[in-house]
Amino acid sequence: MKNMLRAAAAAAVTVLALTACGGGSSTDPSNVSPAGEVKPREISWLLSRPADGAVINIMTKLADDYAKDHPGFKLNLITTPDRPSYIQKLETLAAANKLPELFDTDATPFAQQLAKQGKMVDAEKLLKTLDLYDDYRPGALDYQRFDDGSLFMIPFQFELEFIWYNKALLEKAGVAVPKSLDDIPVMCTSLRKAGITPIAIDGQDQWPLERYVAYQPFREAGPDFVQKLKKGEAKFSDAAGQKTVNWMAELGKAKCFQEGFSAQGYSDAQNQFTSGQAAMYNIGTWELPSLATDKLNPAVRDDIDFFTLPTTEGSVTSANEFVSPSGIGMAVNAKTYDPLVSDFLKFALQKYPAEYAATGALSPTTNVETTVPANATPLYRKALDQAKDLGSKQAMPWDTQLDPTTNGRLQQELVLLVQGNITPGQFTETMDNTVEQNAPKFFK
Amino acid sequence: MLPNRSRTSVLVFLLPPLLLYGAAVLFPILQSLFLSFFSWNGISDMEFVGLDNYVRMFVADDIFWRAFLNALLYLAICLVLQLGGALLVASLLTSLSRGRELIKTLYLLPAIISTVAIAFLFVRIYSIDPVGLLNQLLHWIGLGSLERPWLSDVSTVLAAVSAPEGWRFTGLYMLIIYAALIAVPKELEEAAVLDGASRWTLFTKIRFPYIRPVWITTTIMATTYGLRGFDIPYLMTNGGPGQSSELLTTYMYKTAFTSTDFGYASTISVFIVVECLVAVGLILFLLKRKAES
Repeated sequence: MKNMLRAAAAAAVTVLALTACGGGSSTDPSNVSPAGEVKPREISWLLSRPADGAVINIMTKLADDYAKDHPGFKLNLITTPDRPSYIQKLETLAAANKLPELFDTDATPFAQQLAKQGKMVDAEKLLKTLDLYDDYRPGALDYQRFDDGSLFMIPFQFELEFIWYNKALLEKAGVAVPKSLDDIPVMCTSLRKAGITPIAIDGQDQWPLERYVAYQPFREAGPDFVQKLKKGEAKFSDAAGQKTVNWMAELGKAKCFQEGFSAQGYSDAQNQFTSGQAAMYNIGTWELPSLATDKLNPAVRDDIDFFTLPTTEGSVTSANEFVSPSGIGMAVNAKTYDPLVSDFLKFALQKYPAEYAATGALSPTTNVETTVPANATPLYRKALDQAKDLGSKQAMPWDTQLDPTTNGRLQQELVLLVQGNITPGQFTETMDNTVEQNAPKFFK
Repeated sequence: MLPNRSRTSVLVFLLPPLLLYGAAVLFPILQSLFLSFFSWNGISDMEFVGLDNYVRMFVADDIFWRAFLNALLYLAICLVLQLGGALLVASLLTSLSRGRELIKTLYLLPAIISTVAIAFLFVRIYSIDPVGLLNQLLHWIGLGSLERPWLSDVSTVLAAVSAPEGWRFTGLYMLIIYAALIAVPKELEEAAVLDGASRWTLFTKIRFPYIRPVWITTTIMATTYGLRGFDIPYLMTNGGPGQSSELLTTYMYKTAFTSTDFGYASTISVFIVVECLVAVGLILFLLKRKAES
């Protein structure tokens, strides 16, 4: 009755179609080796990845291979690449208790609540049981962990985020690669004076701007700052918080981002950079095929390079520590986890890394070597090599850390701050109040 | 009065749609009302909080009031564009002797285009980098000083997201009003013209009073659609920058599906239902009083 009430209540405020999936028996999240016969059936993976991307292509192939020996098995991939829409779908299905066998999620406070309720299989235990745990890069697993160190998601990617730049445009403006984060506003002013858009950014999706707010505190106070901030134990009015608030306002004053950026999307930003209109572009290695192969516009191909997140004076994190996400993780539904799901995961996870590395991407594991594509520029190898020299700390994207209401408000207020519509003081007051009101509900 | 057998027949035939209406409309509204007294994030246990959500909405939520005011302004712009535009075009159409069908079709065209396509289209029209149609036009006619990123500027974004909604439905309401206008008896108009009535007097004293029932229906439709406006603003700006184009509907949706605060989102949805009922009541009251006077 309770579940029915929940489902009905969710339906009262939504018209989203629910994609119900089959049941199972196990409900113990730590039982990673369910006993019994493998009975092939269709299982579903609710995921937020590009429909023609490497992860989906490889997993489709592996599922087909598995089905050859297990007639009746099918992996039904339900993808919603648009992240906000995906999250809404995931949360609605979770509310209706209709999550499929596999589903994507970041290590968000919402996902942690699902894990606490025993709805997700313990991924650390699962990988250890499959004897795969040690193959994974520690950074790839750490990215998926909750605050308490528990691991409930399996990574399928490993990415490094750089600031890509156009050497010719920097030269034209008479500026050098910034040595410190604090150099960037001055650099923007010089670029603007030379008639160049300093940074192309996808403002519509909001997370790219939110990356910037994480940088100064990561250098000033380390990865713990956001862990404390999200619980209200640190504030934007603290020294590290004020440093980032003022820096973001300076980026805005120096007109670092393209005019009207808040209404421009992902491809707009990419086009601006690859067409030589913008000098910098902050994006991860998932765009290597566009930025470091012969697909890149020949007019700028030889001028493109990248630098990693600059440090600051007195930085507590090193130059080789920056944002290195392992993408959205895959969780395994504890309610529907059975011998079939277990057997398929064992089959797929063992074969996945080699297939993935062959596509030219960085595998979340260290047991395979990435194949550099034939059409790659030297930059491709240079970018991949950065993974060999990573430090132990990583800057976490704040959108996976903050409670959803605070995150939404932060994304809104950041745009206003950077556009100059509100002062750093107003921003600080609003955000500290927002955290105070919302954090307790999520981080009791 | 219908004979007994006919009344029974009517009731029998009305029952299925009534049941469907109850299940599809009334039940969800009652469910939302029920949920509005709870704090619930979808996966935790539901916690009864009494009127806390209502107190929070009216007293402690700055975004709610901002969204409410935005929604009223959005409605006003939509109504002016939809009803004003529709009345103007329909009146002009009645004076036209050729090409009516073509013009009607052209005006109706936006109503059949998907809202996603309209949203993307207008994002491009308003763009400044690369230069969109609107800024290009301003540049060509020598009003370059007015060029701006319409969707990023907090002072223009609300009007910018309202215009596509108004543009979209002008044709639909134009058709309804046009149909009413051509039904005005010609002898009435001819008699007024013989009495020396001007075109304006003809419109205000003969035509408009005659189409008043249709006008009331159209106004109610446009108002309730306007108050429920969601998809185009959501797709174009997601309520931003900041809360500059946040409407009650987009805020309710985000509260439910981004903040996973289903209880509070239900409180906002109850407010939207009440707001729509009050708006319709006001329209009926004002137009009735005007008709009586």
